[in-house]
Amino acid sequence: MKILTIAAKELREYVLKPGSISWGIVFPLVFTLAFAVRFGDIDHLAPGLLSISILFGTSSFVSSSIIFERRLRTFERLLVAPVSYLEIATAKILVGTLFGIFVGVTSMLVLRLFMAYAIWNWILLLLFMTLSGLAFSALSLYVSLRVQNPINAMTWLNLIRLPMIFTSGAIVSLLLFPRWFLAVGLLTPMTYSVDGLRFSMLEYYDVVNPAYSGLVMIILTMIFLYLSIRSIKNLY
Amino acid sequence: MAAETIVAKNLSKRYGDFTAVNGISFKVKKGEIYGLLGPNGAGKTTTVRMLTTLTSITSGEAWINGYSVKEDRLMVKKSIGLVPDVSNLYDELTVEENLRFTAKLYGAPMENVEELIKEFNLPAKRKFGKLSSGFKRRVTIAAALVHEPEVLFMDEPTSNLDIRSAKAVRALVRALNLRGMTIFLTTHNMIDAELLPHRIAIMEQGKIVAEGRRGELKRLVGKGVIVRFSVEPVSSTLLKVLESYSPAFDEGRISVLVDDVDDFLDHLFELRKTLGFRVTYLSTELPSIEDVFMELTEESPCPCGGCPI
Ligand SMILES: Nc1ncnc2c1ncn2[C@@H]1O[C@H](COP(=O)(O)OP(=O)(O)O)[C@@H](O)[C@H]1O
Ligand SMILES: [Mg+2]
Repeated sequence: MKILTIAAKELREYVLKPGSISWGIVFPLVFTLAFAVRFGDIDHLAPGLLSISILFGTSSFVSSSIIFERRLRTFERLLVAPVSYLEIATAKILVGTLFGIFVGVTSMLVLRLFMAYAIWNWILLLLFMTLSGLAFSALSLYVSLRVQNPINAMTWLNLIRLPMIFTSGAIVSLLLFPRWFLAVGLLTPMTYSVDGLRFSMLEYYDVVNPAYSGLVMIILTMIFLYLSIRSIKNLY
Repeated sequence: MAAETIVAKNLSKRYGDFTAVNGISFKVKKGEIYGLLGPNGAGKTTTVRMLTTLTSITSGEAWINGYSVKEDRLMVKKSIGLVPDVSNLYDELTVEENLRFTAKLYGAPMENVEELIKEFNLPAKRKFGKLSSGFKRRVTIAAALVHEPEVLFMDEPTSNLDIRSAKAVRALVRALNLRGMTIFLTTHNMIDAELLPHRIAIMEQGKIVAEGRRGELKRLVGKGVIVRFSVEPVSSTLLKVLESYSPAFDEGRISVLVDDVDDFLDHLFELRKTLGFRVTYLSTELPSIEDVFMELTEESPCPCGGCPI
């Protein structure tokens, strides 16, 4: 109940604050378009591009929300209210996920224009977008709460999300790298998003069985949720 | 416990090697305005943050309404309202949306929001971010009251406000207290300290150096009392007798500084009987809280107050 109250407030607040949102949408769209124009048929790139969109959408949204709230100290309003850290963190993750789905669907509509084949399974695709949104939001929440000074959150986030683009097989399939690199790929949270999305769109996967991908993303969400709650405790 | 709304026992907060609050103890009675007075960096905000569960307590204990701040955080949170030193509502939301959100967060009835808007005369439809700092503070106070807390914590409630807004906030604090609200406030402002608290604790470098009612603190520094009076007619005999008090004359009034008011007044009224004058004006004045503060706190060797050099 209070989770929804907080989530609704976040949505209202950030929808009204255009600056923070547009970056989360514009970047993925420009990125997608750039690849589409460069490569023409992008069926095999589409899952990776979609995952990148969701990653950048959610992480920009969640981190800017936390950075603002910590700097303006509105975050303390939540901490002093009779609401648990779990409720606060869950609300933030939910709103981030919702935004991630929105960015994902928008990107998908654009990608669709450049794809030769039809989407294999839209429902599964929506499910994997949601799971990706959850895992990425939780990861971003943790990073934004882990840093002492909220200004550093963006730097840390970039140190994590930029390399992930390459180690997840989002652009170049992990199967094309030397075998040892597969280990790096499997340690990258984004790998499971990319492969899950790939399976929903194209009915095949590169390395991870989609059932495992889904499971791993749920587990990652819970781990980062737990770590986020611990970070709130450590910060205050 | 019932009569004491806040109890702090040996409360300490350390940040690494630095001790921000150093074993302070005090009790605040129900219905009282209690003021923590101290210079910047004394540890006032840290104390408020510990009492309101916003930061962990390094050692010691505190209770609010009988609930342990360490153990019963949820009950403590429900019992308190906090007006932080920075007005921190959501800029993009209107005043009404901000208050409604707070009400939902605390599970308080929505009627409270309407009442507060009316009572505090708030611009319901304006965005919080667009308000003047005086109105922001008013809304922040209203937001702290939405769930009808037992205790209101106010960290520097008049800082960064113009004179008029500060005066309005002081009036608000008094009005809330008259309705029975227990208020714990911090300030480095001598006007606040002079006008608001029933009892004051003077804090310096993490420690409480003095505590008591205003009058008690003033007598504590033992600077004497100023007695001002006018008599008619003024005789040369009277002036001669008063000479031992080294009086000052100002606009027809005579001022003397005495250690014991009672002794002096006894003396004055004896003289009145023998000399036959009328007392047309009489007042006594204690030293100001500022005087007390200057007397009880040490001047730091360095203006920053706490640097290691
Ligand atoms: N999070 C923190 N980390 C380290 N030191 C802090 C922190 N918060 C406050 N301090 C230090 O504790 C001391 C007391 O601060 P504060 O309670 O804000 O004082 P006041 O409110 O009386 O001005 C100051 O020296 C301040 O620098
Ligand atoms: Mg302070």
